[in-house]
Order: sequence, then C-alpha cells, then structure tokens
Amino acid sequence: MNRLNKKRKQFIFVSLIIPVTLLVAFVVFPAVDLFRMSFTNWDGYSPESRFIWFENYVSMFQNKDLWLSLRNNAVYFFVHLLMIIVELAFAVLLTSKLRAAKFYKTMVFLPYIINGVAIAYAFSYFFSPINGAFDAILSAAHLENLIRNWLSDEKIVNFVLSFVSLWRFSGYHVILFMAALQSIPQDIMEAAEVDGANTWQLFRYIQIPAIMLMVDFVLFDNIRGALQVFDIPFVMTAGGPGYASSTFTLYTIKTAFTFSNFGLAATMAVAMMFLIILVYVVQNKIIHGIILKDRRNENG
Amino acid sequence: MAKRVVTQAVKQIICLCMVVIVLAPILLTLFASLKTKTDMAVTSPLSPPGLSNITFENYKEVLTNKYLLLGFKNTGIILVVSLFFNVIFGTITAFIIERFEFFGKKVIVALFFVGMLIPTFVTEIARFRLINSIHLYNTLGAPIIIYVASDLMQLYIYRQFISGLSVSLDEAALIDGCSYFRLFYTIIFPLLAPATATVCIIKAITIINDMYIPYLYMPKNKLRTLTTFLMDYANAQQGSWQTLAAGIIVIMIPTILIYIFFQKYILAGIASGAVKE
Repeated sequence: MNRLNKKRKQFIFVSLIIPVTLLVAFVVFPAVDLFRMSFTNWDGYSPESRFIWFENYVSMFQNKDLWLSLRNNAVYFFVHLLMIIVELAFAVLLTSKLRAAKFYKTMVFLPYIINGVAIAYAFSYFFSPINGAFDAILSAAHLENLIRNWLSDEKIVNFVLSFVSLWRFSGYHVILFMAALQSIPQDIMEAAEVDGANTWQLFRYIQIPAIMLMVDFVLFDNIRGALQVFDIPFVMTAGGPGYASSTFTLYTIKTAFTFSNFGLAATMAVAMMFLIILVYVVQNKIIHGIILKDRRNENG
Repeated sequence: MAKRVVTQAVKQIICLCMVVIVLAPILLTLFASLKTKTDMAVTSPLSPPGLSNITFENYKEVLTNKYLLLGFKNTGIILVVSLFFNVIFGTITAFIIERFEFFGKKVIVALFFVGMLIPTFVTEIARFRLINSIHLYNTLGAPIIIYVASDLMQLYIYRQFISGLSVSLDEAALIDGCSYFRLFYTIIFPLLAPATATVCIIKAITIINDMYIPYLYMPKNKLRTLTTFLMDYANAQQGSWQTLAAGIIVIMIPTILIYIFFQKYILAGIASGAVKE
C-alpha cells in the first residue's frame, strides 16, 4: 500500500506541477503584483519606480474622466439588465412548441461566435453618416428628422454602442436560459398543464423557480460584463468623442499604454478587481442564500 | 384549434424579426462588399448589387494582401499549440481534482477558481511587465502562454464530464497493476474525447476572435493574426466601405464555418461551462 501511495503522490505532483506553476506565474502573481504597482509611480519602462503611498488612489478618485467612463459602464449595465427579460421570454419561446425551433436557436446564438472586431466594423458601416444603412432605413420610413451622428453625438453614442453589445451578447443568455428550462422534468410541466395551468402560470410557478440559479448567474455575468466592456467602444469610437464613450477598462488601458502611467492604471485595475469580487460575494452570500433558503422552505 | 394556429403564427413572426435583426448587419456588409465604388455612391445601402454589377474586385484586393496570409498562418500556429497544451493540462488537472484527495488540494482548487474570477483586460497591466521580462514580447509565445495559463473554462467542462465516469474502471485498472500514467493516457483520456471536442471548438472560436492579446503583445507587422490584420486593413481603407466590407466578411467566415459544422458541441459546452459551482 505504501508503495502505491508513493506512486500516487508522484503522479499527482508530476501532473500538476506545470499547470499550477503557469497559473501562479501568469494569473495569480500578476494580480498580486497589481497591488504592489498601485503604490508606485512606475511608467512602464524605467527600471526604477518610487513608492508613493496612496497618491494613485487619491488621484483615481479625483479623476473626472474615469468617473465619466464608469457612468458609461452603467449605461451598458442597465440596457443589458432590461434585455434579460426579453432574453428570458425568447428562451421560453424557443423551448415551447415551435416550428423550426432548431433553426431559430442557431440564429439566436450566431452573433456571439462572430468575430467581435469584424462585427464592430460592420456596425460602424451600419451607423455611418455616409452610405449608412440605418440612416437609409430611417429615410425609407420618412423619419429623416431622427437622423443623428450616431457614433459622434455624446448624448447617444453610448446607447448605440450598448445596442451593438446587446446584438452580440444577448444570444449567450438565451442559450443559458434554454439549457436551464430544458432541465425541468417534462412530466412536471405536463402534470401542471393537465391540471389546467396556463402558460403564464407555468412560467411563474414552475419555470421561474426552477431556473433561479441560472438567473442568478446571468445577473452576475451581466455586472461582470458591463464592468469590463472594452472592444466595442475601442474599435468603433476609441472612447470618443473626448471620453464620451470611454469605459472603465478602456480608460485603464489608455492610462497604462498611452499615458505610460502604469502605477495609476494598476490602481484602477485593483479597483475593478475589488468591485467584481465585492459583487460576487454580495451575490453569492445574499441572493444565492435567499434563493436556496426559499427552496428549502418550499420543500420542507 | 384556431387559437393554436394563431399562437404559432405570432411566435413565427417574433422569431423571424429576431432573424432579421441578427442577419441584417451581416447581409448589408455582404451587399457592400460586392459593389463597385460607383455602385456604392448611386445605390441604397439597403439594396443588393444588381446581378450584372456584382464585382469580386474587393475580395481580390483582400485575399491578395500578404498580411492576410500571415494572419491565417499565425492564428493557426497559436491555435494549434494553445489547444494542445490546454487539452493536456486541462484533462489531467480535472482528473486529479475530481478523483484524488491530497494535501493542498483545497488551495489548488481555490487558486483555479480565483483565476477565473480575475478580470481579464486590466490584469494585462501587470502581466505585460512579466511577459517583457521573459522576452516573449513581440513573439507568438506571448499569446500562447497567456491562453494556456489563463483561460480556464476547460476545467469546468472536463470536471463535469469526469464526475460522470464510473470509478470502478480506474480501480480495476489499478488492481491489474496499471500505473497511474497509463491509466490516465490509455483509459481516461480517450473517454474524454467528446469533452475534448467541445473544449477545442469553443476555445478555437475564442482565440480566433481575440483582438486584445495579439494587439497588445504583437505590434510587429509579421505577427498579425486574423483579427489584428482586420484592424490594420480597416485603418488603411479610410472610409472605402466596399473594400473594408470584403475584409470583414473574409474574417467572419472561419468562425461561422466552425459554428455551422460543430454547433451541437458549442451549444452544449457553453451551457455546461456556465453554472457548475
């Protein structure tokens, strides 16, 4: 037994050493290093950097452009949050008795797998003031007076970009909701139908409670996604005009790689990490707890 | 009966609206890519090119760009090497975490979990220094090592799959004197093939579509990937939508093809990777 035990340990050690080392070196260490960098004034290339206590934290909180960027993240968050209702409705629709359901399922997820940079350019064309299809649609509907500079008007640019983000990511949530709905045992649904439950009652009393954990995950994914919006504004507007369509991540990256202020950028990254972990803990402990408690009470 | 027909019709109309919204930006780009410059000026962006006016010049221009070829090559190399290591490390890590109890296991599981929670984009600020210091900046090694080390979704898919395999198989093999390594490579690894297919397909799409890592770590012209090639190409077109449109369509095709052929694996994997905590 002892020899087997030794061999077992050997196997575990040899197998895990590389993946764990890679994880520690390229994921855990950089995350920890961000904390250290956030207390320095490192510029990205000098060998030397100075320890400057909380200066970066103070200037982060005083940075108006960063707050503006964070407000833009909030636009994505609320637009996607409202869309969750539609996504849920689509998931119910696509799992109901529907002809060509398979084709529609393929279509709903298609945007998610398409190259994000390519689609960002395609939408730049769609909303372009010259030859733009969206303006052409408005003209065809005799709504010429609604035409705006979709990507350079500060007031609407974030909503236009959020729409592109909706187009691209909504299908992911629909697929997740569908998977959860399909895991509900069919006989429960049928029994309720025989008892005379209508579609709304099925939804409210069987489907919704059964998929609460997935709703929970989608809400977390939405916050995480909204905080990290990057490539759509990066490709379509570069955060402009000015910082009108900048986001927290975009601004952080700019601070590091354009303004060579890695110390301040690291501070922002720490803030972002803190926000995501805070949201995760709040959601996991509080919301998760309530759902599971409800479920236990119902069963008990 | 009539009510059922009406319900079905309403459902179909809603779904068709969705299909139109999904396909519109792609189709409109396709239309533009087949038009000549003068055609662009005189026709509506909503109308397809007239049959006699269709041109393939825009495509010819993209496809003969030597950086597109390089993009295919670089993306291909990154893809194959990253997937290879992801599968090797992913299967064995998931197997050990699922089947063995050992000292420090909790710490390792926690590390992998924290790794998934760390925000991706902003971490590069610290990783950039590390990649520089090991001289991987401006090499294909930078994206490869980052994809292998930091994208951890395969662990969820593999762990879930392994938890469904019977333990008696391992036991029988071990009693027969099979070593742990042989057990893993001759029995477990082949059984994981369906999960491996899912992992490879989903990761291939993620890697092909990734803009950020190659953009940040490989500014050198020769190291263009498909996605960063398109960014350069777009900047060079300066508002010539019909040529850019052809570039957009060419870059979209690889992942769309993967999706059409392997849809089943993708949809199953996406859902199983999400909620298993």
